[in-house]
Amino acid sequence: MHNVVIVGAGPAGLSAAIAAAAAGAPVLLIDSNPRMGGQYWRMAADSLENQIDQHYDLETGLLLINAVKARKEIEVWSNAQIWSATHKDGVNTLRIIHQDNEKIVNTKNLIICTGAYDRTLPFPGWDTPGVMTPGAVQSLLKGHAVLAGKRIVVAGSGPFLLPVATGVLKAGGEIVELIEANKPIRWLKSFAAMLENLHKINEGYYYLKTISTGKVRPRFGYAVVRAYKADNDELDSVDIAKIDRNFNIRKIKNIKCDVAAIGWGFTADTSLAGSLGCKQIVAEDDGVVIWADDKQQTSVTGIFVAGEITGIGGSELSMAEGVIAGISAAKFVGCKVEIKKAHIKRRAKKQRFATALIRAYPIKSGWKSWLTGESIICRCEEVDLNDLKHAITELGATDSRTAKLFTRCGMGLCQGRICGRSVVDLVADNLEISPTDIDRIAAVNRPIITPIPLGVLAAGE
Amino acid sequence: MKNPDAIVIGAGVVGACSALALTNAGLKVLVIDRGPVASGTTGAGEGNILVSDKEPGAELTLAMRSRDAWFELDTDIGGGFELEAKGGIVVSRSEKGISNLKRLATLQKSSGVETIELDRNGLQKIEPYLSADVEYGVLYPKDAQCQPMLAAAQIMRAVKKRGGVFVQGENVIKVNSNHNSVTGISTDKNSYISPIVINATGTWAGEIAKMANSYLPIMPRRGFILVTSPAPKLIHHKVYDADYVANVASGQADLQSSAVVEGTASGTILIGASRERVGFNGELDVAILRQLARQAISLFPILSNVQLLRAYRGFRPYAPDHLPVIGEDALISGLWHAAGHEGAGIGLAPATGELITSQITGQSPFMDPSPFSPKRFQGSEYVAV
Repeated sequence: MHNVVIVGAGPAGLSAAIAAAAAGAPVLLIDSNPRMGGQYWRMAADSLENQIDQHYDLETGLLLINAVKARKEIEVWSNAQIWSATHKDGVNTLRIIHQDNEKIVNTKNLIICTGAYDRTLPFPGWDTPGVMTPGAVQSLLKGHAVLAGKRIVVAGSGPFLLPVATGVLKAGGEIVELIEANKPIRWLKSFAAMLENLHKINEGYYYLKTISTGKVRPRFGYAVVRAYKADNDELDSVDIAKIDRNFNIRKIKNIKCDVAAIGWGFTADTSLAGSLGCKQIVAEDDGVVIWADDKQQTSVTGIFVAGEITGIGGSELSMAEGVIAGISAAKFVGCKVEIKKAHIKRRAKKQRFATALIRAYPIKSGWKSWLTGESIICRCEEVDLNDLKHAITELGATDSRTAKLFTRCGMGLCQGRICGRSVVDLVADNLEISPTDIDRIAAVNRPIITPIPLGVLAAGE
Repeated sequence: MKNPDAIVIGAGVVGACSALALTNAGLKVLVIDRGPVASGTTGAGEGNILVSDKEPGAELTLAMRSRDAWFELDTDIGGGFELEAKGGIVVSRSEKGISNLKRLATLQKSSGVETIELDRNGLQKIEPYLSADVEYGVLYPKDAQCQPMLAAAQIMRAVKKRGGVFVQGENVIKVNSNHNSVTGISTDKNSYISPIVINATGTWAGEIAKMANSYLPIMPRRGFILVTSPAPKLIHHKVYDADYVANVASGQADLQSSAVVEGTASGTILIGASRERVGFNGELDVAILRQLARQAISLFPILSNVQLLRAYRGFRPYAPDHLPVIGEDALISGLWHAAGHEGAGIGLAPATGELITSQITGQSPFMDPSPFSPKRFQGSEYVAV
């Protein structure tokens, strides 16, 4: 029997590995982190000590991680980076940097669970040291037990801000402000999805209770719209603004802080699946995700996907999809196993909650009005909004690809992972058109998935 | 624009330079492209402006004029495309390679190309990270580089300022003619009337010729370029292996590659150059990336620790004899071709624009254009069917 190869050991990948192994398929689980668990269950060490405070349900994570470790059918490669992947005649070739060497894995059966990363929006001063993503603040806490700063502003939009603020408080940090751009009233539109997922309300209540004991009163309908540097070039303060429903600024007040953790939801990491030719689509939140059928199979036979890569939905939806993807892949390699009705029902329930989330935390177009001409858009290449406008009005760029090639916007070290999505919006805005799905998908196309030293590339066969 | 004096098809660097030269000569020019400016081969190039890689002959004469024309153009339109006279260094490590390079440099020198021979010490002085086993090289101070997309865009901007019109997003579907004389073109959206049509569609020039019921043997030759993460200034010139010259001239279909390494204004290092005939197949070929990396490291061992950030590919337009096609069509009068520059299109573009313009306007050209004439394919195996 052939291996089922799984990429990513977060909630989706772990669930898929256990489901596939339980069905009798040998599994190779490839993960880029030193320890399993993904971003969600990131841990500084394998023990529970000092960890519990930073997690809401670490028990589930440890259960899955220990189950994977206990199964001898599952081989795990940690610290393994896939730098390139290609698909030819039904075979997927993964080129992996593992323990300083390059390893090649050829497989017909692949489950991709590469997750997502924080979505950022540019604003004046966002390139100041001290302006971070909530994900970075949390990963410092979870992965290294380090507080990013003393006085922290947590801002942006989405439920993820709550656990980050909670984690900072539990670790002894001060939350100066916790601000959410959208108002909670939006949740009323999705009453049914809330009722069937009451435990998520409990989770939210747990965070808010912790936050209120830290004497923090969350503000709704506010956003960080500018950051200021101190003399030492580090963050001095931020402007927080009351914003209207479309995110346009109404009133501004300045707040001193040394860290501003600002996130606007998540962007799926589709680079690997995209390289293999899996069909990419634009989701309701305008993010690019991988299309999958009800068995979690992509447009490429034998490649399955689960978790945030199919659409942002949180850990529970990821696990539900992971189980189905694991069963589907095991069946694909010849195991006698079927997806159960309960699996489908569970996924549907979590999917309804995920859709409610997306609708409760929209990112409205008014964020573009926070920018000035001198605002940096691409931090890697230091391209500002005036440069982008010049590319359009003077040089004749009529799409984001051309604007990017004229300005080098998105061509630096991160390859547009941070600014790419915003650039598509900004270019379209300046051309007074709507971005097309083709523009959005072109912006996430990265044949070199992660940088590789030329020496390692040269040594490969 | 109603009734332009000339229509240029293609807003790559050759189309842009042709349009500018025609505009400067007083013609009303309409440029048309199916996509944005520089969206074809121009946008996939390194921006080479080289005299070093040409054997003495018509193409070298064109290249030498074009190199100077780039700097005149830079002044004329106000720059903005990172033009830099960085100089090229050609090196060789085999006995045979060195003697060939010496012979080539001597011939080039007698044709007026500035060349400076360098030994190991001389090379180490100007390229400190060059592998110490390189004992012979030739410096070509006139070799230059630009950012090709910006160049095409800035030239198109000047064309528009000087009265030309750029229509983009229209696909040419027919070159219209009457009694073998051009009358204009039809696109998927409009028709345009003009007695002169310039085919500057590079790799796709054969298709346009076909639409005019003529024939042009231009084919794609794929090339990959590696781009590293921004590094401190490690490489000061364009440095390449003498094998490159042989590869350019080769007619073989299979893969050839030779190291071409250079730093850019933005700090990234570009590594080329592969050549292969695989049609318009755009798939990433990792074996080629590895070969390019090996060759680059062999010239500059320090690159071993530099990160590869991206790789891209383009399709060079090549003619069977590797010479560009500049001149009037063999069958259809009023249809002019400016295409088939293979990997030298950026370098040769301004002189191509001048040459085609002087032929159209009847002024005396700066060189004999006959070696580039499309008529050279007549009577050969390439004649239209």
